[in-house]
Amino acid sequence: MIERKKRDVGGTVINIFALLLVLSYAVPYVYLLMTALKPAADVQQIPPSFFPNRITLENFSTVLATPSLPAAFANSLMVAVLTTVLSLVLAVPAAYVATQYRRSFTTLFLLFALVTRMVPAVSLGVPLFTVLKSLGLLDTTLGLVLAHTSTAVPLALLLMSAFFEGLPKELEEAARMDGCTRFQAFVKIILPVMRSGIAVTALFSFIASWNEFLYALLLTSEKGKTAPIVIAEYNSVYGLAWGPMTAAAVLYSLPVILITLILQKQIIGGLTFGAVKG
Amino acid sequence: MAEICLSNINKVYGDSFHAIRNLTFDIKDGEFLIFVGPSGCGKSTALRMIAGLESISSGELLIGDRLVNHVDPKDRDIAMVFQSYALYPHKTVRENIAFPLRMAKLPKPEIDRRVEEAARILELTPHLDRKPGRLSGGQRQRVAMGRAIVRKPAAFLMDEPLSNLDAKLRVQTRAEISRLQKELGVTTIYVTHDQVEAMTMGDRVAVLKGGVLQQIDTPKNLYDRPINAFVAAFIGSPSMNLYEASLFGEELRLGSQIIRLPAEVFAARPALRSSGERTVVVGIRPEDMDDASIAPSSAEIQAAVTLVEGLGAETVVHLAIDAPWVDAGDPDAIAEIGHQRSAVGRFSPKTAVRIGDHARVALNAANLHFFDPETRTSIW
Repeated sequence: MIERKKRDVGGTVINIFALLLVLSYAVPYVYLLMTALKPAADVQQIPPSFFPNRITLENFSTVLATPSLPAAFANSLMVAVLTTVLSLVLAVPAAYVATQYRRSFTTLFLLFALVTRMVPAVSLGVPLFTVLKSLGLLDTTLGLVLAHTSTAVPLALLLMSAFFEGLPKELEEAARMDGCTRFQAFVKIILPVMRSGIAVTALFSFIASWNEFLYALLLTSEKGKTAPIVIAEYNSVYGLAWGPMTAAAVLYSLPVILITLILQKQIIGGLTFGAVKG
Repeated sequence: MAEICLSNINKVYGDSFHAIRNLTFDIKDGEFLIFVGPSGCGKSTALRMIAGLESISSGELLIGDRLVNHVDPKDRDIAMVFQSYALYPHKTVRENIAFPLRMAKLPKPEIDRRVEEAARILELTPHLDRKPGRLSGGQRQRVAMGRAIVRKPAAFLMDEPLSNLDAKLRVQTRAEISRLQKELGVTTIYVTHDQVEAMTMGDRVAVLKGGVLQQIDTPKNLYDRPINAFVAAFIGSPSMNLYEASLFGEELRLGSQIIRLPAEVFAARPALRSSGERTVVVGIRPEDMDDASIAPSSAEIQAAVTLVEGLGAETVVHLAIDAPWVDAGDPDAIAEIGHQRSAVGRFSPKTAVRIGDHARVALNAANLHFFDPETRTSIW
């Protein structure tokens, strides 16, 4: 009885610590939200307060009235969606072939694919600028999609390879025995089985592109600008508009939160893929 | 249904590892053939080559009258049951079984009829709308069978389909597969490393070692007339005991002991007669040994008892015999017994022998096997 009580107390303490840890991750975001809800005067008060003295939506009104922001949001969405789709189209079959049809150079291929992740992003910025300029794709959605895809594909390839490593080869073989070509087996059996892994990879690719700042800054100037650039412009030489900037950041975070909630089941399934033998 | 003919089939990986060497045999229409052999002997590779999942380095493979060396698995009209079952986890049992029919573009009413029929035969009807993840091992195995039989293929290929089941379920499923194969009359090739499956299920058994076919014959012939010491030791459980002995006239000298061989041994094996002394490998099946105090015999030897395992219906007794032990060349057996190279006898359950006893062991001398010490082939 005493032993059981000790175990219960131990469990409760661990749970409290776990909860505190999880909440600590949320603090920066909650602070962002609180700042967005503060009146302009409160935002820069010294000492700063965590909670607003008065809740107001004036920052959100200012943001919604900013003429450049809707186009920037649309650009961000277009770039992130296209980057995600293109990355998956390239990385999923490549990862499948690399892991299921393993050859001596497979590991080298996967390592080589990571090269763009190994060098600082800024060092690739100049070559990308030159390439896109020569293709006439500077300040375009397509140009930024290509730039983002060049960094998203290696990550997607690595993630999908890890997921495919846990996939039994017999699934494809069974499909081929059941009347599929290799491609049909991939489309009809492998892809549906891997949907959790694909969902996780898609989400990571989407978030990486959605949040990307450096290439967007280097490779766009007017028409192709994405939301992170426009949000950053609230802080300019003409003044520091912290309130509208945090409100815009809150609005900008909503699609990602929404997608994560929708894909929650697949993401958890994907993150634990292969952990339990079926 | 179809005949399958393999002619000088070879499989070479890269340019060095020869996995299958000159595999040649025919499987008759409706026959149940078992591939058996130790780990790495090439039995699964041979099966996968027939399935089309492995390329054939050289030789000819015919299914029916058609050369299928370069035909895709989907176009060979054969179904395969995998060791892991390879069920599609995102599909229900119904969808799993229906999948090959959908790929063959059969009309929906026909698909439904065939799926229902297969489910009824395999007692899967109550589980048709469940996903494989919610089924037991035995049920999953039956779904894999269902996916194979629903197509009515020319041949079934089964790669150790029972190895993931527990012992009791394995016995039950073994009988079910045998019954189903007889009912459907479909040519079947079945890979196993299980002795009992090999001996009880197949019309014929093909024993492979190191990618080479050792013998293909009925289970009884393999047991009674093994072609070499490897087959003799591989078929039968526990394995045949092999010792080096010398033959002098009708006397067999096993270590320091002498056994007089009956005339019927020489009648059955004329090549065994020799004018002088000759060295042979003698094979003693465990069932040809018993406690001489219970079942006296004209051929008896003395042996030290090293282990006694009472199984109820019989007692397995491990014996140290003072004669050179001979390796049959089965890597799995070596791995199992390690350095403990004792003989194994299946004694009557009434035996009273204990560890440490020097037991009198009765041999059924007429059933002894003899092999050439150099080539390890049977002497007949």
